[in-house]
Amino acid sequence: MTEMINRRDVLRLGAGGLAAAAAAPTLAAKGEPLRIGVVGTGGRGTSLIRELLKLDSVEIPALCDIDEERLARAQALVTGAGKPKPEGYSRGETDFRRLCERDDLDLVITATPWKWHTPVCVAAMKAGKHAATEVPAAQTVEECWELVETSEKTGKHCVLLENDCYYWYTLFVLNLIRAGMLGEVLYAEGGYMHDIRAVKFNTVPNGEPWRLEPAIHRNGNLYPTHPLGPMSWWMDINRGDRFTYLVSMSSKARCLKEFAIREFGPDDPRARQDYKLGDVNTTLIGTENGHQILLYFDTNTPRVKEHLIRVQGSKGVYNQMLEKIYIDGHGERRHNPDWLPLDRYREQYEHQLWKTRGEQARGAGHGGIDYLLMYRLVKTLRNGEPPDIDVYDAAAWSVIVPLTEASVAGRSKPVDIPDFTRGKWKIRPPVDPDRIV
Amino acid sequence: MSKMHDRRSFLKKGFGVGFAARAAGDVKPLRVGFVGVGDRGSYHMDVCLGMDSVEVPALCDINPWYLERAKRWVEEAGKPAPKLYGRGPTDFLRMVEHEELDLVVCATSWRWHAPVCIAAMKNGKHAATEVPAALTIDECWEMVETSEKMARHCVMLEQANYSRPGMQLLNMAQKGVFGELLHAAGGYVHDLRLVKYDPEREPWRLQESIDRNGCLYPTHQVGPIAWWLDINRGDRFDYLVSMSTKAVTLNEYAALYYGEKSPYATMRMAQGDVNTTLLHTAGGKTVTLYFDTNTPHPHTAEMRLQGTKGHFAGELASVYIEGRSPKPHAWEPLENYREEFDHPIWRNVDPKKFRSARGHGGGVTTPLMWQRLVDALMKGEPPDENVYDAVTWSAIAPLTERSVAEKSRPIEFPDFTRGKWKTTPRIDFS
Repeated sequence: MTEMINRRDVLRLGAGGLAAAAAAPTLAAKGEPLRIGVVGTGGRGTSLIRELLKLDSVEIPALCDIDEERLARAQALVTGAGKPKPEGYSRGETDFRRLCERDDLDLVITATPWKWHTPVCVAAMKAGKHAATEVPAAQTVEECWELVETSEKTGKHCVLLENDCYYWYTLFVLNLIRAGMLGEVLYAEGGYMHDIRAVKFNTVPNGEPWRLEPAIHRNGNLYPTHPLGPMSWWMDINRGDRFTYLVSMSSKARCLKEFAIREFGPDDPRARQDYKLGDVNTTLIGTENGHQILLYFDTNTPRVKEHLIRVQGSKGVYNQMLEKIYIDGHGERRHNPDWLPLDRYREQYEHQLWKTRGEQARGAGHGGIDYLLMYRLVKTLRNGEPPDIDVYDAAAWSVIVPLTEASVAGRSKPVDIPDFTRGKWKIRPPVDPDRIV
Repeated sequence: MSKMHDRRSFLKKGFGVGFAARAAGDVKPLRVGFVGVGDRGSYHMDVCLGMDSVEVPALCDINPWYLERAKRWVEEAGKPAPKLYGRGPTDFLRMVEHEELDLVVCATSWRWHAPVCIAAMKNGKHAATEVPAALTIDECWEMVETSEKMARHCVMLEQANYSRPGMQLLNMAQKGVFGELLHAAGGYVHDLRLVKYDPEREPWRLQESIDRNGCLYPTHQVGPIAWWLDINRGDRFDYLVSMSTKAVTLNEYAALYYGEKSPYATMRMAQGDVNTTLLHTAGGKTVTLYFDTNTPHPHTAEMRLQGTKGHFAGELASVYIEGRSPKPHAWEPLENYREEFDHPIWRNVDPKKFRSARGHGGGVTTPLMWQRLVDALMKGEPPDENVYDAVTWSAIAPLTERSVAEKSRPIEFPDFTRGKWKTTPRIDFS
């Protein structure tokens, strides 16, 4: 692939054509590994490195973290797997730039705190590397456009590492939809509902104290991509449909302060601090085709972690929390039917990625999806294929963060969502489950 | 009962005191007239006929068959024969003008609820209506103003508020088990396509889907939620936003079952198949309401409640309370809290006492609601569900229609209590 590809080509080809435009033989054809640098080797970066090390076709020549100890641990992980010791970059917050300048990398993965995702990806693409980032990819609308424009200009991919796209149910439901079982997908709801107060206040091992900062200053859905990834695949977002506008509403903020008072005493600065992030945020997203998404975001309340996912089509519904399904006409009664057991459809519609790689995935992070995420990332890039989740997805799913903030601040006013594909959503083909292998 | 109560004294008494409906020691039965005795109305009537303290002197319906059946039921219950009003859609006016009644119950199609209630109150009768109480904001205000001016109650018969788990959750919420409440959700997600295409039964239902687009049937969910969240009693809804999907399922259903040539296969339906509404309260709480009567979906209880100390999920009938549930971040059945938090009015229920005269199905919830209402009116005490509840819960439909029509724009929620929500105590059944 070359930087000579101009923007018009990229637009013409879309994400599906970026790699195809490369004249050079693919890494896979040459039998060469994908060379990856990882920026951020904390809890999440380390997990991803573990999954990468399970793949034969990967080399990790360079690692970067501001914390030398974490860096050394990650280096040891790589050498422990029988690979050469990666070079370490630890000279400060922007040392990732030196890593990106290396000439022996194909891909730079970012697993830093949120605010560094876009800067690292942009630096990587500008240095001629593909970029892949933990979620969300960006924090502002401008950053989203910067990712899109940099990717188009450089001809490099920017992949959002949305692991929820590889859940068993995500791909199962995608197969159901492609088979027409759910009819037209009208509505989906989901949420990130997970009590991470202790993570934010760093009172548990592997805490992520940087997560507290956004809760002090920001109010919206700060973490929308986990439910949005699967939903966007199901609803052909950027591929036949697109998000057009949203409204967002937050409850009052109580739980973080109460937690700090209880854990640290009422006089502690953390207990005196006011937190802007409403405890329960709810967002509605409308699409061009008249479909709808409901998102919950709640990381502050004491709660059971919920996998609230429901997708409603004109012919059927799938409910992940209940692990139940209903297809019109399949029940015993036409009126007031009962849920149908998932098992009735499990075998027929199980996705081939889980059939063929399910065994390897087992035991990997987040129930196997981290392995499948890395497997697909490496495979597509080595084969010169478009990634499953491209820069337009990264931008559209991540921009929900700043736009919900704008809506919440404006008393839930409707906020338009930019079309990062600049009209290409009309002709880009839907995600093809048969290509995800 | 006197019409002399002026609005000022009513306002002063607020919700805490009922109208002195009956003199002390008065043991005369409560005289209840019914407008609309179809499926739902005849059930309400049957429940009332099961109570010794109720008489049914008058009935009104446009359908003579319903009217005769209801009359027969009254007689078979051993009560004096009722006078019948069946001369047309507005014959209820004659009934409320001519009959000596304490209460008029309205179980007509939606559009007649407010006119019947208003006419009843203007003629000195208390009113009780099926849900929703009103279809427009103007009707809501007219009901409030008529109730205040005439010093007559206007009750919306929202039986969902009296469900046993709902009342248990109310009890838990009021005792602080969930901490400070932050969020609640509820849904009317009920596939009614077959009902809508059964014009013999309820012809008006399909017409609503043809003409309107919003959360048209909010009261079953918002009723219990409003009690949990102290709405109109310490807090109030201050605005909402609402969004609807496109409408495809009613056409698809008609094409499938009635053929592609059926006019319903191509007729434009206004009501989006899935509508979702977000409500915000002055106290910073939020509510999600689902409304979906068009898509294929088993009937589920999508009630949720979230506070600063724990939460409830209706689909799982489970709760988690921090520091109290046995395992951190793990559900336990709501049932575990039954013994301690079963609501007193349920704890003391004798199911044998709560039977309609003809042994109608429908469980204990609706008879319990009726017992509460009849007791309150007999004693001259305020009913649990008052006119402000009736219109606040009902106003959601027209307000969501407006929001949907204007790209989910936030719509201000009228304060039907005119500020009294600040000083009105939370609902209390003792």
